[in-house]
Amino acid sequence: MFQKNTGFRIFFWISLILIGFFVFFPLLWMINTALKPTSETFSLAFFTGPKTMDNITHIVTDEKIMGYLKNSLIVSFASSLLATVVCSFAGYSFSKFRYRGRKFVMGMFMMSQAFPQAILLLSIYAIMQKTGLLGSYWSLLISYVVFTLPVGTWTLKSYFDQIPNALIESAKIDGAGHFKIMRKVVFPLAVPGMITIAIYGFVWSWNDLLYSMTLVTDNSKRTLASGLVMTFLGMGSTNWGYMMAASIISAIPVTIIFVCLQRYFIQGLTSGAVKG
Amino acid sequence: MKNIRSRGLTDAQTGVLLIIPGLAVFAAIILFPFIDAIRMSFTDKSMLMPDYEYVGLKNYIEVFSDPYLGKTILTTAIFVILSTALPFLLGFIWAIILNQGFKGAELLRGITLVNWIIPGVAIGFLWSWIFNGQYGVLNGMLEALGLPGDTAWLGQTSTALICVVIARTWQMLPWYMAFLLGGLQGVELDQIEAARIDGAGNWKCFTSVVLPSMKNIISLIVVMGIVGNLQHFDLPWTMVQGGPARATTTLSIEVYASAFQNWDMGKGATIGTLWAVLLACFSFVYLRQVKDSD
Repeated sequence: MFQKNTGFRIFFWISLILIGFFVFFPLLWMINTALKPTSETFSLAFFTGPKTMDNITHIVTDEKIMGYLKNSLIVSFASSLLATVVCSFAGYSFSKFRYRGRKFVMGMFMMSQAFPQAILLLSIYAIMQKTGLLGSYWSLLISYVVFTLPVGTWTLKSYFDQIPNALIESAKIDGAGHFKIMRKVVFPLAVPGMITIAIYGFVWSWNDLLYSMTLVTDNSKRTLASGLVMTFLGMGSTNWGYMMAASIISAIPVTIIFVCLQRYFIQGLTSGAVKG
Repeated sequence: MKNIRSRGLTDAQTGVLLIIPGLAVFAAIILFPFIDAIRMSFTDKSMLMPDYEYVGLKNYIEVFSDPYLGKTILTTAIFVILSTALPFLLGFIWAIILNQGFKGAELLRGITLVNWIIPGVAIGFLWSWIFNGQYGVLNGMLEALGLPGDTAWLGQTSTALICVVIARTWQMLPWYMAFLLGGLQGVELDQIEAARIDGAGNWKCFTSVVLPSMKNIISLIVVMGIVGNLQHFDLPWTMVQGGPARATTTLSIEVYASAFQNWDMGKGATIGTLWAVLLACFSFVYLRQVKDSD
């Protein structure tokens, strides 16, 4: 795209080194700190000094933190599943059916990203309290669908749009009802889109702090993000080795998903995903 | 009649049926809470007491006479502008670099995205550690270069906000990069060739061919980035909890703190409502712009 003249070469190398350092150094420093024995935490050695798994072991054997991890897994899986189902139905409806109010509902879903989450939380908290769901997995599980709804509906709609109407018509002529068509013809063709949305929903739920800090008050139900904040913030003396080890543990599940399913991930990201 | 019944639901009925779960969730966690929050802003509701009364505009008068309101809005504006502009610029440069297609560029793109995927809490912890005044690696590096290495980056009002912005830039750079890389790959190469024949250099090609053909994706991600940053909570909270001395208290921190730390739901709802109005104005202007450009 650009001519590789001297000016471009200088720009290329300076940017590669400076931005590369900015992008990659911090995570390496996190790993570096987590692998240092406590006595070495404050040294500036970069992977050169003595190494230990003590910090990681400390976190992995901490029952409370492992409990948070388990809660996060449950909530993230369940809400990602729920979101995928809801978005698949809605996306299919928007794509292949015509009824009054369709455009209006579509617009509303798209706008839901722009509602300030902190203000929604005020009433969600009150509603969950009234219905007795406050502090349960359910309160988080349902609330997290809000993150995925606009993007998910849109992405899946575009998948369904690509399925030719003739295919659906011919299934109808063969005598299949609406739900049989969905199960046997339409949904199987949109599986890649559904995986994209499921991953998206999972990562959002996994990373959320605001909702989980507010809606879950019971320590045994806490998810990892808010659990770590409760564990490490506001302590008199901070053990940075433990904190970095805990950060690594919290990053592992989403990183694994990303590495294994990168293709779907980038597709989902660029199909209109936004992360607040 | 018989025919329809044997076929089950009509098309329109099925369509509506399929939308019901989505609509129900939307109503339960977005529409109703939003309306309810506006209603709450006219009450003295507190989490500490079950009863509340309507107090008219009292909350609004209080919020507007709050000497901190202007500062919170200013902090939010600075945070949003810088945390959109910086990762956009750096992400754009990084996308151009990775678009050169050298060996390992694919891999670098993948590793870059990890920064964006990991939890905000982990990112907040990491950058608190880097900026730590006593033992942080930033001060360590400055000292090694012979510069003063004892700045409490997160502890003083003059630097705390910019530290949060830097952490946010680090988190979001990959997101902008991914979109812009996609945009760069969509630029027509023959147009660049044509410009080059006309004697255009790299910079001229960039400003007169590349930028215009990426106009749509750029405005899309800038607007999405702004909306995301207006909502952002994790980093200012995990790094400094809105402090020191409110230096990093943005609107979303303020709403959270009023409602869930001071338990003053009415005040939280009022600030939230004002914020939603601001957002709505912004969206309106943006939508008009999009319409005009069509």
